[in-house]
Amino acid sequence: MQRFNFPVVQPDPALEELRAELQAFLKEEREAGNFRPEPECWMASSDPEFSKKMGKRGWIGLTWSSQYGGHDKTALERYIVTEETLRAGAPVGAHWIADRQHAPMLIEHGTEEQKLDILPRIAAGECYFAIGLSEPGAGSDLANVKTKAEKVEGGWKINGQKIWSSGAHISHYMVAILRTSPADGRNRHVGLSQIMIDLSLPGVTIKPITDLSGDAHFNEVYFEDVIVPDDCLLGEEGGGWKQVTGELAMERSGPERFLSSYITLETALHQLQGKLGSDSQARLGKLIANLRTLRGMSWGIANLLHQGVSPETEAALVKDLGNRLENDLTLQVRALLNDLPEDEWSDEMRRILNIGILRSPPNTLRGGTTEVMRGITARQLGLR
Amino acid sequence: MINTEGMVAETAAKIYTDLCGREVPHEAEAGQYPQALWDALAENGLPLAWVSEENGGFGADYDEVFGAIWVSAEAASPVPFAETLIGNWLLDRAGIAIPDGASTFALLEGNTASVPFAGTADHVAVYDAGKNAIALYKTADASAADGQALSPDSDTRLDFSTATPVASAATNLSRRAVEALILTVRAVQMASAIEAALNLSIAYVSDREQFGRPLSKFQAIQHQLAIGASESAAATMAATQAASALARHADDPEKAWHEAVVAKVQIGHSVEAVTVPFHQVHGAMGYTQEYDLHHYTRRLWAWRDTLGNEHRWSKLLGAELAVTSPDQIWKGVTTGAWIAS
Repeated sequence: MQRFNFPVVQPDPALEELRAELQAFLKEEREAGNFRPEPECWMASSDPEFSKKMGKRGWIGLTWSSQYGGHDKTALERYIVTEETLRAGAPVGAHWIADRQHAPMLIEHGTEEQKLDILPRIAAGECYFAIGLSEPGAGSDLANVKTKAEKVEGGWKINGQKIWSSGAHISHYMVAILRTSPADGRNRHVGLSQIMIDLSLPGVTIKPITDLSGDAHFNEVYFEDVIVPDDCLLGEEGGGWKQVTGELAMERSGPERFLSSYITLETALHQLQGKLGSDSQARLGKLIANLRTLRGMSWGIANLLHQGVSPETEAALVKDLGNRLENDLTLQVRALLNDLPEDEWSDEMRRILNIGILRSPPNTLRGGTTEVMRGITARQLGLR
Repeated sequence: MINTEGMVAETAAKIYTDLCGREVPHEAEAGQYPQALWDALAENGLPLAWVSEENGGFGADYDEVFGAIWVSAEAASPVPFAETLIGNWLLDRAGIAIPDGASTFALLEGNTASVPFAGTADHVAVYDAGKNAIALYKTADASAADGQALSPDSDTRLDFSTATPVASAATNLSRRAVEALILTVRAVQMASAIEAALNLSIAYVSDREQFGRPLSKFQAIQHQLAIGASESAAATMAATQAASALARHADDPEKAWHEAVVAKVQIGHSVEAVTVPFHQVHGAMGYTQEYDLHHYTRRLWAWRDTLGNEHRWSKLLGAELAVTSPDQIWKGVTTGAWIAS
């Protein structure tokens, strides 16, 4: 019998206060011209100055202890910060990945020294991380890892190449999955380890890749005899695959899986308020009903994570539905805009819509393709 | 919430397990009404669950009753259990004595209304928004239109213009409050039916072999059902959010209207997204009377028309949102508080 686990959780007044603070800050920053809202802001809009401001306000590193520069808050507070910054299309790309996944990873697997050194800098919005999972030619086959880390005196020697590493060009570290011993016969999942690499080390070369929108947020990263010390191995040697799949479950259910394009709708609604015709009203009603439902699912998972439950399949469902919705949202906005003569569209509207279209293809790719998500669901259904 | 572990829900679950095996919906369609099932529900007082104690019921919380409704839809209930719950809820709100037997409900616009189980229920509780009144009719006293029914529970068009009510009373219950209840009940039934049809589909493709291996091993089949599963999970969330809003606003159901409409729109639109793959993976077998799938898919097609189809409701919701501020829309999406009060 199939029954998924998505608790319904009521809003909490304390969280709504935090939301109001965020909204006031974001409005002020935008009106001061300190950022231009953009779709896919968590991937493609990076501004270290903005990240530092977020850090100063205490909105990065919410969940970890003050001993490491964090703020002893919950994952639910972090969720509110996440969804409000996405809604605003704010330039949060610099610190996003470090805050979301590498800080928790360091807390679990890092040495005390690393925690004291790195976590406070992440929380201050001054230290950024890039993901080192994909390799050239591997595509969705994440276990197809060729980049090697060889044990040497006092550390590891790394050779190979990673690709699609968002923000590597401005990041201080990458956490990469590397082959630390040969695969065991046909099981490619053994012999993989996660290693943290200081990107300023000799032997590291970073080459930006320009995307359709003209932006260069992702990169190819080359490693040539890069030596990192022993304590850069995160977690267990050979346990990398398990760690990575756990980490992916966490990143699949967040608001960034369905709100990346919300700024497009929000911008259009400001122009279209009171002007929508009958067809558009029906489109809007459906879109908002979908968003409300998906937000309920995502919030339900956030609450499970808060209780220490990590629901992998539910996360895959949210990502699949969410990615479809964030692409549909852009398409629906195009349709809604028919109700406004083109010469009345603001330049800002046109800019945001165009960026949204050009940045839509990766929605269903990053963090696991739609097909991979459906495979995870099928396994849960007992079909594989 | 939908509490399937509460006493009301557990009593219903036991009755449905004992008296509504997979043959029962088939027999009911062949004209053999499961009187024993109805009697067991009635003897346990379940149709009176939402009726106040003053009026002979036991004023149960919304949560547990939704659990019982979930269970009844899962069993493809051929008796008007949910409909009687709605009908009795209306009558109780107007202080009208609850009649014995099965009832149904109608939301009247002018003289006629679509009435589920019109051929089965003895009475129909009619909410007339124009007159702010609730009236109780004998179903047989209204004249019925002839039409091809989508489901065995056949929504029939009834004309009340020449019928005399058994009882009637003015009500201050708003139309939105009534809509909130009806739409939420239907949302719960639909989410349950979608899940039941998903489970049926999973079992079928795991069993059935084609080209020398189970259908479940084909990636194309797996992906069809993964889509069905994601829609099923979304439907359950939408129904649960609506049920939860009604429980929260038990004293003023009108405040649950937006969440009920969200569920109506979400689930109504996903009916196509689930019935297509579920029928597809069943092949011709799913198109036959002898197999169980149609107990769910036909009801889903019928239920999505309750109080008008999903397009009507998308537009109603959208029309309201189209004149509100983007801030208010965002507040609704994130907190379920739709309109500033």
